[in-house]
Amino acid sequence: METPQQGSTLFSAVLVLIATLVVIQLWLVATAVDAMLSRQIEVLLPSAIASGVLFVLAAGLLGYVVSFDERLRHWGPRGR
Amino acid sequence: MSDRTEPRWRQDFPVRWDEDHYMTRRELAKFLTLGSGLLAGVNVLIALIGLSNRPPDVPARRIAGVGDVAPGTSLLFRYPTLEDPCILVRDASGRFDAFSQVCTHLSCAIVHVPEDESLACPCHKGSFSARDGVPTAGPPTRRLPRIVIERRGEDLVATGIEV
Repeated sequence: METPQQGSTLFSAVLVLIATLVVIQLWLVATAVDAMLSRQIEVLLPSAIASGVLFVLAAGLLGYVVSFDERLRHWGPRGR
Repeated sequence: MSDRTEPRWRQDFPVRWDEDHYMTRRELAKFLTLGSGLLAGVNVLIALIGLSNRPPDVPARRIAGVGDVAPGTSLLFRYPTLEDPCILVRDASGRFDAFSQVCTHLSCAIVHVPEDESLACPCHKGSFSARDGVPTAGPPTRRLPRIVIERRGEDLVATGIEV
């Protein structure tokens, strides 16, 4: 069952999640810069991998919610 | 619509709500995801730069004689190049420590404060321990790079840098 109300709530929730992921990525970039300047190179690779994973998560969330929205627009509310 | 019917405040605030551009949640989500991709790219770039910048091999070089620095005083020198100011500190017990003289906050030159065995940055009131270079007060968060020194007879020789 997919309704416009569900879509709206889902979009808001995903937006908050993506924003949270971006904030974490900002923190990771700041940490990576600090580690690079202090030559703590063991931090750099995990930081880059974590940032990439967060991006994949954000892109996945965006793809999911956009496809949900398009399904809703194409088929209309179901289960009514 | 003529100016006569427009209230005066409309001239100061000419933007109409219904004509204003609103960013939808979908657009905002796309922009945030784009920003997420950019941040991931920046992080990878930082990792590549950091991993490719290996510390250079630095030559061993005599920096001073043991008798040149009295206990409780310090001596300035340059190592490994003439562009790298450093400070050699001898505490009251006779122990030698050497650090980069460049503050890790905003690169001001630090000075030795023998009274409390610290290295102070006069620019922003930063302070480092003169024993291990760890920041103890003020804005610096990273410790000072340590210059590895060896005592060879009556000479003090710098042999490397620990960042």
